[in-house]
Amino acid sequence: MTLNLKKRKREGDAEPRKTRRLSDDELDAVSETDSNQDEDEEWGGIASVEGHAASHAESNSSGTKPKLPPTGEELRVINDAKNLYRSNTFKLQIDALLPNVRPKDTKVPPLDRFLLALHGFLLALAPVAPRHPLEAARMLIKKGVAVAYCLPRPLEDTNWKVAFEKPSDITVVGSWANKISVKGKDGIKFGVDLAVEMPPSLFQEKDYLNSRFFQKRAFYIASLASEIQSSEALNVDVTYESAFNDPRLTKLVLEPRKNGSPNDFTKSSARVCIIPVLSANSPIPLHRLSPSHSNIRVSGDGEAPTPLYNSALLTALMPKTQLLSTFALKERTPSFSDALALLRVWANQRGYGEGTRMCVRGFDSMGSWWTALLGLLVFGEEVQGKMVKRKPLGTGLSSYQLFRAALDFLSRHDFESAAAFHKSQDGHRFPPEEYQACHEAVLVDSSSTLNVLARVPLGSLQMLQHDARKTLEMLNSTPTGSDLFAEVFLKDQRDLPSRFDIVMRVDITLAKPRTPSLHSTLDNGSAANALIASMVPLLRRGLGNRIKAITILHAPSSTRPLSQALPTDPAVLCIGLILDPQHAFRLVDHGPAADEPDPAIVERFRDFWGDKAELRRFKDGRIIESVVWDVTSADERAHVLAMIVRHVLKRHFGLEDAAVQSWQGGFDDVLRLPEAVARVYTGSGSVVGFKGAMLAFDGLVKELKTLNEELPLSLATVSAVSEYLRYTSVFAPVPLPDSLVPSLPRNARYLPSMDIVIQFEKSAKWPDDLRAIQKMKLAFFERIASTLMTSVSGLKATVVVGDGVSTSDIQDSARLEIATSDGWAFSARIWHDREAILLDRLISGKNVLPHINRPAEKKKTKEQYEAATAKEVYLRRFIHAPRHHRAVAALHHRFTAYSSTVRLVKRWLAAHWVLQGHVAEEAVEILCASIFVGDGRDLTIDLDNRVAERASVPGSKESGFARVIEFLKDWKWEDGLYVPLYGGESSEAMPLPVSASARPGVWRISTEADSEGNLWTAHGPDVVVARRIQALSSATWSYLQGMEEGTLNVKSIFIHPTDDYDFLVRMDSSVLPRYAQKIDSTQTLGGKYANLPREDSPTVLRPGFDPARLLYDDLQRMYSDTFKIFFDPFGGDSLGAVWDPALKQPLPFRVLGGFSSMPVKKEKEKQKDKGLVALNESGILKEIERLGSGLIRGITVQV
Amino acid sequence: MSLPNSIVGFSVLPVSYGDDTNHYIYARSHTGSKKNVSQALPDGRTLFLVNVPPDATERELVLLFKGCGTVEKVVFDLDAQDTVVEPDDSDADDDAEQAAAEDMQDEVEGQPRKRRKVPKLVPPTVVPLPTTALRRLRRTGRTAHLVFLDASSLERALVPPPKPRLWPSSASEEPSGLAHYAALHDALRPPLDAVRAHADSAIALFDFELQRTRQESKFRKGEAIVDEDGFTLVTRGGAYGQTLGGGVSVASKKFQASGETRVRNKKKETKHKTNFYAFQKAEKQRNELLELKKNWEADKAKVEKLKASRRFKPY
Repeated sequence: MTLNLKKRKREGDAEPRKTRRLSDDELDAVSETDSNQDEDEEWGGIASVEGHAASHAESNSSGTKPKLPPTGEELRVINDAKNLYRSNTFKLQIDALLPNVRPKDTKVPPLDRFLLALHGFLLALAPVAPRHPLEAARMLIKKGVAVAYCLPRPLEDTNWKVAFEKPSDITVVGSWANKISVKGKDGIKFGVDLAVEMPPSLFQEKDYLNSRFFQKRAFYIASLASEIQSSEALNVDVTYESAFNDPRLTKLVLEPRKNGSPNDFTKSSARVCIIPVLSANSPIPLHRLSPSHSNIRVSGDGEAPTPLYNSALLTALMPKTQLLSTFALKERTPSFSDALALLRVWANQRGYGEGTRMCVRGFDSMGSWWTALLGLLVFGEEVQGKMVKRKPLGTGLSSYQLFRAALDFLSRHDFESAAAFHKSQDGHRFPPEEYQACHEAVLVDSSSTLNVLARVPLGSLQMLQHDARKTLEMLNSTPTGSDLFAEVFLKDQRDLPSRFDIVMRVDITLAKPRTPSLHSTLDNGSAANALIASMVPLLRRGLGNRIKAITILHAPSSTRPLSQALPTDPAVLCIGLILDPQHAFRLVDHGPAADEPDPAIVERFRDFWGDKAELRRFKDGRIIESVVWDVTSADERAHVLAMIVRHVLKRHFGLEDAAVQSWQGGFDDVLRLPEAVARVYTGSGSVVGFKGAMLAFDGLVKELKTLNEELPLSLATVSAVSEYLRYTSVFAPVPLPDSLVPSLPRNARYLPSMDIVIQFEKSAKWPDDLRAIQKMKLAFFERIASTLMTSVSGLKATVVVGDGVSTSDIQDSARLEIATSDGWAFSARIWHDREAILLDRLISGKNVLPHINRPAEKKKTKEQYEAATAKEVYLRRFIHAPRHHRAVAALHHRFTAYSSTVRLVKRWLAAHWVLQGHVAEEAVEILCASIFVGDGRDLTIDLDNRVAERASVPGSKESGFARVIEFLKDWKWEDGLYVPLYGGESSEAMPLPVSASARPGVWRISTEADSEGNLWTAHGPDVVVARRIQALSSATWSYLQGMEEGTLNVKSIFIHPTDDYDFLVRMDSSVLPRYAQKIDSTQTLGGKYANLPREDSPTVLRPGFDPARLLYDDLQRMYSDTFKIFFDPFGGDSLGAVWDPALKQPLPFRVLGGFSSMPVKKEKEKQKDKGLVALNESGILKEIERLGSGLIRGITVQV
Repeated sequence: MSLPNSIVGFSVLPVSYGDDTNHYIYARSHTGSKKNVSQALPDGRTLFLVNVPPDATERELVLLFKGCGTVEKVVFDLDAQDTVVEPDDSDADDDAEQAAAEDMQDEVEGQPRKRRKVPKLVPPTVVPLPTTALRRLRRTGRTAHLVFLDASSLERALVPPPKPRLWPSSASEEPSGLAHYAALHDALRPPLDAVRAHADSAIALFDFELQRTRQESKFRKGEAIVDEDGFTLVTRGGAYGQTLGGGVSVASKKFQASGETRVRNKKKETKHKTNFYAFQKAEKQRNELLELKKNWEADKAKVEKLKASRRFKPY
């Protein structure tokens, strides 16, 4: 009975898995019975007569070999993937990722050979007799090796000596030894840490004082360097590198020279780092190194603790202990190395690690921190007086779970107030309170001596927290949209513009701390380190709760030649802020009250703010020390934070404004009218901006409501549908009353009219005919206009009977144009819901025979086409536009940065000549909303009790803009974009139907109300324009990266390159009413001559009149098959066009060819007349010139 | 410059735009179709023009062909329809012309549609909105018919002139360019009293027509009787009464869409017990497992594909 035997065996297999859950066992059992049945079939085929017939037949028909149910092993893998990872795909993707970030086994042997050679070489080194440190340094400098003596430097009268003896022990330590190395960013090599133990005989007990240990270490490492450098056999380049730019943490970096010798480990893509360490039985007493001990006694006060100095010394003791504890962790936790790799890849992508780009301060050379973090989670915390705060997670988690746990810890742990202690073998070595007193953030490693976060500023940890939150949010969101895995692990997230809400670049070469402290310099190891370390707390204090995180970024520590003793300090810092929109834009900072009993508090406040601090009396009678930030407009509120940073840097570090670079002003400028024009408006005294527009709208609604007596039907609703009334127009709206017209230059007199929709109460009195309805609307408008004009003085109302293009008489075309006495213009339309039904009737054809299924192939009549167009206009104008308007206006109130982001993006698209003509403004608004709303789950939460804002919401328009650009750069528009704009009306996210409907627009931006994405993106942008936008955005994106180098000039992002156009039509800027809105329009505002009177004709103000736009529309319509035309709607004075590539070749003549042609000359007389015609380019250009006479200055043809 | 004088049966008529720039109009004599002899475009003296300048006005075309003879009228084709007729190849030229001609039948008088609606015996006339002479900008490359007074002019017109004729754009009274747009902007905003007169008369006309069709109609059965206050007259009958003159019920939406009447008593599907026999349970479990494996394999293939298309190298 082989069968039984097999079964036994399998049961035996299953036995060790008793710990697994019951369900698994059941499944296993099932699989066993299944396989038994299969075997039965092979054996006799009797079983197949039974109930399995159906499934068997199915499997036979589907493929060559019958499908077997998964084996127990397979099942376990599958179930693991489902239960322990996010999803099957996620697990498989992780599996695919991990080998790529680990060293390849095949590349290791040459490195091992080298290490062996190095080991032998080091053990054979000859000792150097003790001598005076300076003398020893002089000896080495002759060989081209400088000794990295740190502060306080040895003097001529020092009475201790430095010496060299061969190392007492050499060990490979760190991640390489434990095989948990993870590749660094930007092609950085794997680091192979080699702990070289300095013999204890070199040291004395008192060496922990005054950097004496470090000076001895420096000499030791310099001697090693000079020997290795001069060795022919080893054949390596030797350089110094100092972690954290601290000369006390200098190590030797050996990189192979490529020569093909057996020791050459170039292929291993690794570098060997030699770190001198102290043996466990060294004479230096451990208890002197607790954080509160003072070990530098140079300055007079003497007793201030030197925590950083102490931890630097401790690191010399640590490598081997860390190696062992990591090994234990790895052995006990199967998923540890995978989880660590995931965590480090995640961190590296976000700049928490080495790389060639700027790195978050405090996080270069922090390998041990990630290990300590995971260890803390797995083994739990050391008891800290009271009770254990966090339960250990245990060793049984999967790598993804452990990774998530780490993120969860990072996102929740309050680094500022709570210390974390890794579980250690024999309790706390030093009193835990000492850490918290001396360090900003505390995470003590398994040896219970070293705080791995000693050098990490709190701001950086807050940033880490923010990033962790962001990633968790992403992992918790529904798995729609973009590729989650790529977003978390594969994408470089270090780009400043999209990462931080405000970025400032500070040149610190001239910085002088107001209160320089020798002690802090000595503790930090260098003056620059002390400076930067003191900067973060001061800035955090100044900014208070305005920010969620402040991060200082600078170039990571780099290698330096042996002849350079001290590391190069970073000259430039980038300060990145993440705003808390609830508090960020506060104008007043309150300090202590005037009657504060403790004068020291007041003094401290005054000292911090300097002359900015004032004593102020507030409305409620309090008298308080306070700081007030002056802003002139609402847009400038966002500048307060930059003002604070500048003030703090100036007061405390003597940095003038020129040394601090920020880009907010540049972005503001592109959304603003030129100074000369803006002054006229502000001088007029009327309420300008969105607030003014809203007030004017409310006033108009009130006036309209009073008309109810005069009209046959009463007014039901008046809704706004204009971007000017939902805060998303590029320029803040301004009124233009008649009195103001003469004082403005001719090309700044544009008055936009704001669309509103009027709905009357339902009534049966409307005619049941589309044409009559349109006439009825005219009659209504006339009535409203005449009554409005009599009831409101100064108001002008005219009926507009059409748009000049459409000739359809069933389409809604009439509107009422109202210009208020304050100078606001509105354009009202009437919404009559019966139109939709009537249009539907027309579209579906006249003779509706209900019982006959009309096949679709019936040719559509002209009338049906007309009705379909009219229906589309109707739906967009009356159904979707008002709803869109409400949603966008709500977003403005929900997300502070949303509307200004939209304005910037619109300006950008317009400046690159694609807005309006090719991309609808509504589409832009939805596109920008996608950055803010996420999966739309929290849109429904009402404003009063809202939870904390999601971390991924941009806090400033600059970062919002950068994210939109980034999105456009990478967006595959075939996949579409679904934006839950209306707040969870339909919670289940619908995947986009891939309908290949013939439509020109390739973007597909859909919402709950528009699942096909036809509303705003059906007509454009087409493939050519979409590609162009992509190219433009990636160019803009790479230019935005100039923030890091400080080369970014915001305005040039908005300057359009015109080289790609086939011809450019230049227009006369003096007759364009919107010209003032152009970027860089200032120089030619007004006429050519300043002294000529501006008034050349008594111009009537025409609301909404923009001849350039009309000409553009006409050209686009007339020549749609001839060329593609582009134009900046905001004051553009040129049109650019490219010929349709299909017309480049001569084509056979057709009557309805659709383009202006000219016959082609026959090449030879005999040739058969093929009747070819070619595009008549010069003729067309002449026509354009004629069409735009009075507007066009000239046409440039570009080759 | 020796451009061909004719091209697939069309004479090429160059038109000078000035500065050595020419536009080319293709001309042929018009031949109406047999089945549809048109009065508006008499054979023999109608010229069919292709590639008329997009901003051409009637007057400009008349002036252009003044040298050949007196033009009776100009008809621009395809004015109303921009998207419907799109013949594909040149073989269809005749059809295209015909389609164009047929279409234009509607607009022989060159008047807007709303006035065309006016029946002959109707007292209320629609007061038109004030009009200003404005250019109509058509799509480029369109066609037109030109009717001469006599046939000899047609022949003269078909002979290519030795020198390109100058396009008489400046002679036209309609403004172009900036002035055109300003005039258009103003023309779209007629005085209020004109709007009122127009709207009132148009609605009066509509009411009149409605009245007339009601009178003429024999079948008043479907029409409910509504008095001037908007009340519908209802008589006794049915559950809720019936509208007078009604008596025809309305088809349901479902019936309109599919033509199916409602099935009253559909047989309920016979219920099978699914978890009754042991083999059913086993089979179900087995299928579930197979499904699980299938999904797993599918995901695996997906990741493999990803692996091939994009490297899983983070950096």
